[in-house]
Amino acid sequence: MMKTLLSICVALLLPLQAVAADAYVPKVYGKKGYVWDEMTPERVEVLRLGGDPVKGKEAFRGCRGCHKADAAGVREGVYPRLSGQHTSVLIKQITEIRAGIRLNPKMLPFVEDPAIALEEIGDIAVYLNQVESLRENGKGPEDMSAKGKKLYFANKCDTCHGKNGEGDAAKAFPVLAAQHYGYLMREMKLIETGARGNSHPDMVKAIAKFSQTDREAVADYLSRLPDYRTLAK
Amino acid sequence: MKHNYKSIGRCLRTLGVLIGMMFMPMTSAWAEDAPAPATEAAAPATEAAPAPEVAAAPAGPQPLEERLQLCAGCHNPDGNSIIPENPKLSGLDAKYLLRQLKDFKSGDRTNDIMSGIIGMVDESEFKDLAAYFNEQKRSEGVTEKPELAAQGKQIFDEGIIGSAVPACSGCHNEDGSGTNKYPRLNGQNPVYVANQLKNFKSGARKNDPKAVMQTVAKRMNDAEIEAVAEYIVTLKEAQ
Repeated sequence: MMKTLLSICVALLLPLQAVAADAYVPKVYGKKGYVWDEMTPERVEVLRLGGDPVKGKEAFRGCRGCHKADAAGVREGVYPRLSGQHTSVLIKQITEIRAGIRLNPKMLPFVEDPAIALEEIGDIAVYLNQVESLRENGKGPEDMSAKGKKLYFANKCDTCHGKNGEGDAAKAFPVLAAQHYGYLMREMKLIETGARGNSHPDMVKAIAKFSQTDREAVADYLSRLPDYRTLAK
Repeated sequence: MKHNYKSIGRCLRTLGVLIGMMFMPMTSAWAEDAPAPATEAAAPATEAAPAPEVAAAPAGPQPLEERLQLCAGCHNPDGNSIIPENPKLSGLDAKYLLRQLKDFKSGDRTNDIMSGIIGMVDESEFKDLAAYFNEQKRSEGVTEKPELAAQGKQIFDEGIIGSAVPACSGCHNEDGSGTNKYPRLNGQNPVYVANQLKNFKSGARKNDPKAVMQTVAKRMNDAEIEAVAEYIVTLKEAQ
């Protein structure tokens, strides 16, 4: 299924790759020429190669130092929970960090070749999409989920991130449900300031309207949502 | 400061080779009836001391058995060096060993002793040397500082969240046995491990691909480095 999806994506994108190959210059958010979700040559190649979860488990070894063996990250949210994230999102984020579009100097040395080879990116992404985290994620300091839920729907967050925080694999919108509260708070800040580098322009606009307590409420709500994969069963 | 150390290093190296040449007849005799003098001769605490004997080996490609006598002076015949400053080579991934030998040869990795020694070893010998030490069984180590080792375990298993130090176990495995990308650590001499981490931190060693280890070491302080090195020596490969 995933393979078919990937090959359809790739078939659509092949002409783009040919054009992009020599003239490719990455841009970050806020810089002239920034295009959200621009297909980098590497991302095109990763999608073309597809992924194998068994190989991905092996290639993920080096990531365990921070994201832990079950991909649960850490409760404080310094490192995000990666389990269940969409393959498309993981590939977008990894390749954009490598390309310098998402700015993440802390992580960069650990996702560059040879720590992670290009051929391993798809494997890791497919593996993480399937893996189960054993440990619980970090929640907000107090339950603000009722307020957070209201804000989430009133501001139409669900249009992109889904009614259950499940994101959208086809559009590379991330799963937010059951993510660590601390991580969500940090990324909202980085999106607001542009420091994340690869944010959706609409997301930057949307987050600007949120006060600090509104953010806390929404982050708390999302952190208390169940893993969306448990709903499908 | 750095320049001073470098020039001292160069002088020592030159001196070592010169002394080695003076001792040449003696040491080649030693090499013939060889079995164990390595441990006694290698005992001094400074890194520079063992250089004279080993510097005496003849030039040009040598058969493996001959060449191993050169290595054994500092690393023991089975690759389980008992000199705290020198690494155990036993059980290290052959690709890793090969890369280190090449890097010493090219100057991408430097060490006052090894940088001199490597000039005597022909590049054609590297592959067999790497394969030999890869096949040796890593000896177990003990810590003399169990409390420090316990602190090191926390870092090794969990990393240091505040300063973004990843857990060592992520890349090197929980038992320190390493992977195809990252070297074996279990039982390694703690002085050597701490020195390497400090060298990665200072940039004195920078032959790690894409500076991954330098990145991690720069996020650690000396106390954390020493603790983790003390834990690493206690690691035993999981059966």
